[in-house]
Amino acid sequence: MVICVAENINIMSKTIGPAMKERNPKPIQDMARVLTENGADYLDLNIGPARKGGDEMMDWLVKTVQEVSDLPLSLDTTNLVAMEAGLKANTKAKPLMNSVSLQPERLEKGIPMVTQYKADVIGLLWGKEGMPRDANERAAMAVDFIYQANEAGIPSSDIWIDPIATPICVDANQVLSGLEFMSMLGEIAPEAKSIVGLSNISNGAPEDLRPYLNRTYMMMLMKHGLYSAIVDGYDKELLSIAKGERPEHLKLVHDIMDGNEPDPASLDQKELEHYKTTRVLMGNVLFSNSWLTT
Amino acid sequence: MTFEVPKVSYTGKIREIPLGREGNTVIVGGESCYPFHLFEGEMPNPPKIAMEVYDSEPEDWPDTALEPFADVIKEPAAWARKCVDTYGAEMIALQLASTDPNDKDISADEAAKITKEVSDAVDVPMIVWGCSNVEKDTDVLKAVCEACEGRNLIIGPVVEGNYRAIGATAIGYKHTVVASTPIDINLAKQLNILLGNLNVPDEKIIIDPSTGALGYGLEYCYSVMERIRMAALIQEDERLQFPIISNLAREVWKTKEVKVPESEAPLLGDIKKRGILIEALTAQCVLLAGADILVMRHPEAISLVKESIKDLMTEK
Repeated sequence: MVICVAENINIMSKTIGPAMKERNPKPIQDMARVLTENGADYLDLNIGPARKGGDEMMDWLVKTVQEVSDLPLSLDTTNLVAMEAGLKANTKAKPLMNSVSLQPERLEKGIPMVTQYKADVIGLLWGKEGMPRDANERAAMAVDFIYQANEAGIPSSDIWIDPIATPICVDANQVLSGLEFMSMLGEIAPEAKSIVGLSNISNGAPEDLRPYLNRTYMMMLMKHGLYSAIVDGYDKELLSIAKGERPEHLKLVHDIMDGNEPDPASLDQKELEHYKTTRVLMGNVLFSNSWLTT
Repeated sequence: MTFEVPKVSYTGKIREIPLGREGNTVIVGGESCYPFHLFEGEMPNPPKIAMEVYDSEPEDWPDTALEPFADVIKEPAAWARKCVDTYGAEMIALQLASTDPNDKDISADEAAKITKEVSDAVDVPMIVWGCSNVEKDTDVLKAVCEACEGRNLIIGPVVEGNYRAIGATAIGYKHTVVASTPIDINLAKQLNILLGNLNVPDEKIIIDPSTGALGYGLEYCYSVMERIRMAALIQEDERLQFPIISNLAREVWKTKEVKVPESEAPLLGDIKKRGILIEALTAQCVLLAGADILVMRHPEAISLVKESIKDLMTEK
């Protein structure tokens, strides 16, 4: 089972963005209801950097969503004043701060908020020098984040480590090192949780094909005990995979990762999708936009 | 203990592509190892150099580049003959620069007529390169394909935005296409897949992953070419097992460094030597990254690179 954080309530959306700015609750509440019915476990509220008036917007948004859904919220902004406004407005389940990175000024201001508001926190592995380059750098950064958070009184079980997924069309090696790190996290910090923004993997791919990459990528991460994922809450197939309803496909993907390649001729359409996508994400086959049909 | 050179084992092979008309074909590709790794595999066809010819008199060339062609600069057919007769060109690359709507904007028919004349003047294989305007190239290259039916020209650049129209015409008139993509291995593979879906035969495809001049992003181009070769030879990615062309001269000869006089930039040294060396070094780099066809301009740069190819092809 993977905890699903629905990413759809986002200021970048053509319907939700204007609704947030105009303080029009209906489109947002409609979406929150659908995502809740679809089986999301958390609702991510993404207001972007929100440099001006971010605190008022987040306060309004949290209250608006909580009128129609009891799901816990993931408060998604780089504006820590807005983050705090959201934490204050939250009246329901334990919220998730999305996110605090390893940049010193963000750690310094973000960490005290986690303890003050008894929240969970996403530890984003983004440091002074940007993104980690391989699994070992990710491990070092994770240790650093968890150590500093523990020092401040945050238990490891409240920390969700995000190793940062990068697009397959940029570099397959980065995808592999993210997976490798996931296999190490359990030993580094057994109590810490993990979270991955799945749609990063398919950034740059044709819009209609992105779900195929997102789904198989999640299944690959599940091999290493993925705790949660930031997902498209309208992708019912993905939600069903997260809830453990496709064990036979999961086994297929994990077998391929272990080097036990099936005979492609023996696979049905859905299995072939996973087979081809796994091979592309493993770097066995070079990605192209036609990866499913070649 | 004796020392043994570590060797890469390859599972893939680059396709051999015959260029030019029957009886006068030049074959490129066929490598079963990284460039010049003759201790690991074979390079049956050494890389070829195509000499540039322009469809009208160039206006922005430095004297260094103009001087060898001063007597033929207004006549593309005579220019091509000089490249073959005087400089021993193995191939010709006709640059249809004047078709550019932002330049002289000559018509597709006019461009086709010039191409036919040049093609009639020489027997060696001929590359015909458009102005990189997607719509204009579609009209021009279609007209060129038709006018030169059966010559097996190498037509480019064919890009995602016009591959259907140009690809279909090239199939009809039996020409080879240059699949051109902007420094991105995934896009290079994708365009080759699309050309395959269109039924362009595999022996009619050359790939152009884009080239920059020395000092102008060449390292990115180098890296993409290198990765294309690795995918083709080690991962057996059959949609990347094609010869690579590098249209480098026009990149080199438009840079500031080949144009600025020594009086203004004494540290850059002799202007003539400098231009020739920048072209030769750019060519040398793409050669080592895996290029099979180099489009070059200056005869002295070409003889430097030819010498280097000969040297690298000699097993010691």
